[in-house]
Amino acid sequence: MMKKIISCLFIVFFSVQLFAQEQIIQIGQIAPEIALPTPNGKMMQLSSLKGKLVLIDFWASWCAPCVKEQPELKTIYEKHAQAVKENKFEILGVSLDKSEEDWVNAIQRLDIHWLQISDLKFWRSKVATDYAIEGLPYNVIVDEAGKIIAINLHGTALENFIAKHLQ
Amino acid sequence: MKRIMLSIFSLLIMSNVLLAQTKQEPWNSQQLLDPAILAKKINQNQTKNMLIYCIGPDAIIKGSINIGAGENAANIKKLKEQLKNVSKDKEVVIYCGCCPFDRCPNVRPAFKALKEMGFKNAKLLNLSNNIKTNWIDKNYPMND
Repeated sequence: MMKKIISCLFIVFFSVQLFAQEQIIQIGQIAPEIALPTPNGKMMQLSSLKGKLVLIDFWASWCAPCVKEQPELKTIYEKHAQAVKENKFEILGVSLDKSEEDWVNAIQRLDIHWLQISDLKFWRSKVATDYAIEGLPYNVIVDEAGKIIAINLHGTALENFIAKHLQ
Repeated sequence: MKRIMLSIFSLLIMSNVLLAQTKQEPWNSQQLLDPAILAKKINQNQTKNMLIYCIGPDAIIKGSINIGAGENAANIKKLKEQLKNVSKDKEVVIYCGCCPFDRCPNVRPAFKALKEMGFKNAKLLNLSNNIKTNWIDKNYPMND
């Protein structure tokens, strides 16, 4: 009887987890193309980063947890500065901001040096649909061939994954 | 096995009690407004006696007024300024939707401001996850 209850509990917990993580974007598939302007208005394409390991960080200046995560990304970026120099690694910040002023100010305030792009369309941005984003922060790691190899890793899991891949 | 189960349940209950004690929110459950109810009211043009303010990223809810992030003191001042001549009986709804309530820096300062001003019908729109999943994805009415 007890075993049955425990099994039921596990099934419930796991199905809740599964529903929570239901997504169109999957590991193994080619990352959908992203083509959006940088703060200078220059168009930037994800496909132009082929050959590098790319961490796509979906964020926004209005998203408190995303802003809180930026210093952690900075640590990762600085730790792998050599790989960045050798064209082996890059971070692509894709913002769901609405206000250009807020976006640019946040980039400056947080002293972000990696690539930043946005169409300033908030949740109406095409990337939100293409990447089935349900909430921020959210990220995707794309390998040198443009294939998704990790989804939504944060903290030490993110740090370790990138370090291991760049080894 | 029974003992293990009992321990798990008592731990769960205890942690819930602890959480409830430590997380004293400025709003109560009656002051949380269900998005489905607000959406229905907007669709049926029943929001004349209601003011809807966005104190988060963007005023996308139809008929709502943008104040700016509630974590910014200047925006709280702006909210108070907007409401200074409004009857305290008026239903005032605020919403953010940036992220789940436990991570949101905007809802608490804004709701506290409404309480301090004495609004008896202050409501917080229950966008418990975010504006995307709790409003946009449900095709509720939006400002163009």
